[in-house]
Amino acid sequence: MKQFKPVYGLYFLIAVFLIFGAAPSSIAQKVPISFEEYHGYDGTVKYLKSVSSAYKNITELLEIGKSTNGRTIYVLVITNMAKGTTIDRHVNLRNNRRENVQNVTPMKKYHGKPGHWIDGGTHGNEYTGTEVCLYSIDKLVSGYGNDPELTRLIDDNVFYICPIVNPDGVYNSVERGLSQRQNSMDVDDDKDGRINEDGPDDLNGDGHITQFRYKNPEGRYVLDEDDPRVMIRLGRDEETDKERYSVIREDKDNDNDGKRGEDSERGIDLNRNYPEGWFNDENEKSGSGYYATSAPETRTIVEFFTNNTNIYMVQSFHTSGGFTFRPFARWPDSKIDAKDLAIYDKVMGKKYLELLGEEIPAAWLGEGSNAPGQERAIPARMRRTSQSGPQQTNRQVARRTGQSSTQPRGWRHPYNDQRGRPYGYGIFMDWAFAQFGAYSMSTELWNQAKDLEGIPDVTGENARNEVAKAVLKYQDDHYNGELFIPWQKYTHPELGEGEIGGWIPQYRGNAWPGEPLRKVCDLHWNFELFKAGLLPKVEITEANAEVLYNSSSASEATATVDGDNVNIKKGRSTGDYKIVEVTATIENNGKLQTHVAGGERLAGNRQDAVWLIGDRDKITYLSGTPFMKLGVLDGTMEIPGISRQTEATQVRQPRRRMRMPMGMPVYMMRMFQQQRGNDLNQVTRKGNKAEVKWLIAVEDNTPIKVVVTSQKGGTQVKELSYSNSGRR
Amino acid sequence: MKKYMKLILIITFVIALTANTSPVDAQDKLQKNPGGYHGEMDFPISWKRYYNYAEWTDIMHKLQKQYSHLADIESIGKSRMGRDQFLLTITAKSTGDHSEKSAMWVDGAIHGNEVNGIMCSLYLAWYLLTRYDYDQYVHDMVNNHTFYILPGLNVDANESFVAYPNTPHNPREPYRPEDNDGDGLYDEDQTEDVDGDGELSIMYMEDPMGEYKLSHDKRRFVPVDDPGETVLRFRRIGSEGFDNDGDGRINEDDIGGPDPNRNFPYGWNLQAGWPYPMSEPECRNVYEFQRTHSNIFASFHYHNTGRLIMFQAPPPDRSVNMNAEQRRQYRERIDNQRAELQKTNKYAQLYDRIVSEDYQMDMDVQTAIVTGGARILKNYRPVIGGLSGQAHAGTYYMLGVYSYLMELWGSPAFEADQDGDGRVTDEEYVIWCDTELTGEGWIDPHIIDHPDLGKIWIGGTRKKHTQRTPPARYIEMETLKNAQFVMYCVSEFPKVEIDEVKVTPATDDLYWIDVSVKNDRIYPTSSDRAVQLKIAVKDKIVFGSSGNISQLEITDGKSQIDPGNFHSTALSAGSKETEFRLKSKDKQWIRYLVKMDGSSGWVEFSVESKYGGKASKRINLSVSN
Repeated sequence: MKQFKPVYGLYFLIAVFLIFGAAPSSIAQKVPISFEEYHGYDGTVKYLKSVSSAYKNITELLEIGKSTNGRTIYVLVITNMAKGTTIDRHVNLRNNRRENVQNVTPMKKYHGKPGHWIDGGTHGNEYTGTEVCLYSIDKLVSGYGNDPELTRLIDDNVFYICPIVNPDGVYNSVERGLSQRQNSMDVDDDKDGRINEDGPDDLNGDGHITQFRYKNPEGRYVLDEDDPRVMIRLGRDEETDKERYSVIREDKDNDNDGKRGEDSERGIDLNRNYPEGWFNDENEKSGSGYYATSAPETRTIVEFFTNNTNIYMVQSFHTSGGFTFRPFARWPDSKIDAKDLAIYDKVMGKKYLELLGEEIPAAWLGEGSNAPGQERAIPARMRRTSQSGPQQTNRQVARRTGQSSTQPRGWRHPYNDQRGRPYGYGIFMDWAFAQFGAYSMSTELWNQAKDLEGIPDVTGENARNEVAKAVLKYQDDHYNGELFIPWQKYTHPELGEGEIGGWIPQYRGNAWPGEPLRKVCDLHWNFELFKAGLLPKVEITEANAEVLYNSSSASEATATVDGDNVNIKKGRSTGDYKIVEVTATIENNGKLQTHVAGGERLAGNRQDAVWLIGDRDKITYLSGTPFMKLGVLDGTMEIPGISRQTEATQVRQPRRRMRMPMGMPVYMMRMFQQQRGNDLNQVTRKGNKAEVKWLIAVEDNTPIKVVVTSQKGGTQVKELSYSNSGRR
Repeated sequence: MKKYMKLILIITFVIALTANTSPVDAQDKLQKNPGGYHGEMDFPISWKRYYNYAEWTDIMHKLQKQYSHLADIESIGKSRMGRDQFLLTITAKSTGDHSEKSAMWVDGAIHGNEVNGIMCSLYLAWYLLTRYDYDQYVHDMVNNHTFYILPGLNVDANESFVAYPNTPHNPREPYRPEDNDGDGLYDEDQTEDVDGDGELSIMYMEDPMGEYKLSHDKRRFVPVDDPGETVLRFRRIGSEGFDNDGDGRINEDDIGGPDPNRNFPYGWNLQAGWPYPMSEPECRNVYEFQRTHSNIFASFHYHNTGRLIMFQAPPPDRSVNMNAEQRRQYRERIDNQRAELQKTNKYAQLYDRIVSEDYQMDMDVQTAIVTGGARILKNYRPVIGGLSGQAHAGTYYMLGVYSYLMELWGSPAFEADQDGDGRVTDEEYVIWCDTELTGEGWIDPHIIDHPDLGKIWIGGTRKKHTQRTPPARYIEMETLKNAQFVMYCVSEFPKVEIDEVKVTPATDDLYWIDVSVKNDRIYPTSSDRAVQLKIAVKDKIVFGSSGNISQLEITDGKSQIDPGNFHSTALSAGSKETEFRLKSKDKQWIRYLVKMDGSSGWVEFSVESKYGGKASKRINLSVSN
């Protein structure tokens, strides 16, 4: 009997784990995950590797770059790997240049699907976001094949999840307990010839870098009377008759230069190192780093986006505050198109506030004050936010969009309307929206006072202190006091007598492991699920190849006009052929349109496009060209306050750029211009639907197919068979 | 009764220890005869042809090997396709490490097709190395300064342009895949040499409605000038190539991504510099090298074409508001002033850019330098450069380094324009090719069977190396004078010197010592831009003395040496080290008050400047009755 004991024990552990550890777990969870402790960098990597090997058919683990200290930045791709297609699989190239430079890598199948990006850990000490990423991964992979909605989302879309953007920062914060917001950099901050030689220290060797408090008549802190663990910060000129203290990070002067912690590994704030608005108006440097994307971590992310232009939803998780920022941090709302504003606030913001359980502004609930057609499109030049342009005040924007400029607590933009001042320069969210063309946002996860149950909702002078005490009490009651180290006497080599103690840095600003963390994860996973449901989905809903005429002798003929006479000259016969009319109906059956407003005009982006492809030697295009542009297809969703297109429009096709010959006579120039101005009416678009037609001459029964390719709405192919409907 | 009023002071100038001028090795080969041998056959190389990547990097390696005491070679990084970007570092190793000397950066051919720049920068390296022993000017320059020379920047496209058939205009960009035509495919429809003649020309198709006909000599396509004319007519298809992707268009998605010279961080914008600043490794490697080598003082970037000296000027003063009429009047005034200056010096330059006081010196310095450039390069025109992500914008605006973009050569427009109307017609080009190039250089129209188009005509254009890049025979014409301009700039790099030392008895055993330091060169010891960026390192003078002489504390600040003379202000130095900044052709007095015990002693002044070098001077003081 004895030898079975461990087995029972193991069963018991698994049972406990299934019931408590990973609740709510599902049967498909091949890789169990627990949120009883933070994963940190190593734990995250281990989990990602396990998931990617357990779910080979729906995941791929990418190593997209390296941090300063050589740690890999990972992206877990989640999508049905077997499903999907890309345009480069259908167009056969021929007669290629002999030089044959191999600079283009073949596309992955998932590049033909709308992309949803989720990241965490841009700031090393904000790893609650990492946990939300891991939670979302777990939900996605274990839900696939079980939950029909999740299965559809994973079949049709691709999720790119990057739990740790800043590996060195997260590693130093979680594994080493150093709380490092920035990336790591090999820079000699104090210019003493040595690099990173004076960071913070674990003075008392308890394994944590907490705080050191010491009595100091100049100090800004006093002890709380009820709970002397709590330090009360005094106002600038506040008088007190209590003993004054100073509080510093647990640290000493390691290089004997009279300064503490002046040359740590700490580098730059990565979320100020992106290209959007990195310069301020005076063209002086304002973001972080030597130039925008100078940090290896930032460059890795931007490069990855550049090579995955199908990304359309972008969520960046930060900590803390318990609210979500939507763009812009750098610019006022006047830089955002009315439609984008409505999608952000009245669609996404409304949902987020619902999830938070906060009040939704009245203006977002109805159709808005705009009658259809009343909203004014924003001029293209104003959208180009990298350059300074005319800016409207937010009051003007409010008038234009019919919404109030006061922002709800849980959903806001960082730009300071009251002072007309940017929140920051070179911010990822701004870049992803303004330059990349994705709906991006940045969530500050975790709000101790709101997310821990029973913390008093107090206001007034002592609110901060009351909350601090309640939180400490909560920790005593629910965590056995394990998150806070009681103050213990310590003699500092430079500052003398004092005490070391305080919050273990890992738990200071992040969602507490266990129930509180799971709650935060679950709420935000639900928000991601909602946003994934908004992605566009471009499909060929109908396509026909109708044979209009059959002939046994195709001829090349020319016709010349000579006054009232037309002379037709027939050429040589080329065999059996059909005249075929191909029609296709392309629809976007996703909720949102295929680009943010004006997104198709951003460098690197393009309009939706359709190809009619077959054997080039057997097809002659009589009307229409093999590849045509569709513009931007609307989504199925009614955007509150935004009118839908009511008239069908012809989509202009790109004209051939022809060079005028030098010294051309005027009459020739007119002729030339007339030829150039030959607009074709092959594509008609209305709302989320486009009708396309071609007239082609086909030899034999050569197969043809229609391929629609939308940068952010997906790529789809439909093989055609010839029908003789007898219509003509 | 003290007799100090009658003291006679004997000042002896003992040592003039200036670090910058001490020939280290004996110059046995020194050549003073302008008609004599200057070392060019010590490393024979033809400057009358273009080289492919393997060849020109091999030349670099061999140069370094032969002149290893003057040159180092390294790869600063790799291109997208994995080619090394080789850099020559040239300085006399015997006089100190390259990083300790003020340096000139030179790169070429950031645009793949502008390979004239490779030849120019390579020539500069060769000129400096081969002439080092023979030429005093070069000898001193290589002893005192460093040259960082990167002949080809955009190595993938550089190689393609030289080694494969191309139009004069492609490939320009680094090989980042880009979807130019918005069809979802990347770089899928590039140019091809359809007729296999090694050149890319223009394709025409016979078309009764066409706008073109053959010229009377059958060598060119010319517009039809009479609608009723019954001649064989043509329609222009475009540059030579196939329809690779079958979309009905030809060469519409050529290889390459963003313009590399819009990819640098200053003034970067998405539409011109997509996808992000320094996204192209070829550019980033260069900028990272420049950023981490703070001894670089000026920067040259070679382009083609147009014979321009584009210099980076300071930003216009935004506080100046002028209406159109005021601006017109201002321009007119500047034009008149320039015309006046050019009466005595036809190369004189003057610009109508109004800059703030903080930047006036930079404006003046650049104007003076390009005036010298206009003289050396003769038919090159100096103009102010752009500010939207160009390399030179980044170096000046973000690193405070004086920068220049050289547009080499100028198509043969200057030579070929027969009728002097400022324009060169195809007809004139044909004559130029036949005369100057003795028949080389023109592609006559010829018929070929095209797999996509059927029977077509190709031709009626010049060959690759007759437009943006000069024909081989004219390469050296550009390289020599451009090397000379770069050297001229280096010869104007700042140099700090101790000029005069004046000793004035003050009272008892106290003496005023006034020291003047100067920089006779056009360039200052730090640019205005570096000062604005707060990265400028100030010049510094250090006081030293024999034990019996002590420096007295006086208030730091300005004082007047001669009460009657407004211009005789000096910095009062109250401490051992005093900081100052020498501007363009500048002189600065520094005043000390010293106390000497006994009748003799010495004082020593050492000047140190990041870019201006070091100098020191020792003065012996002896007092007698």
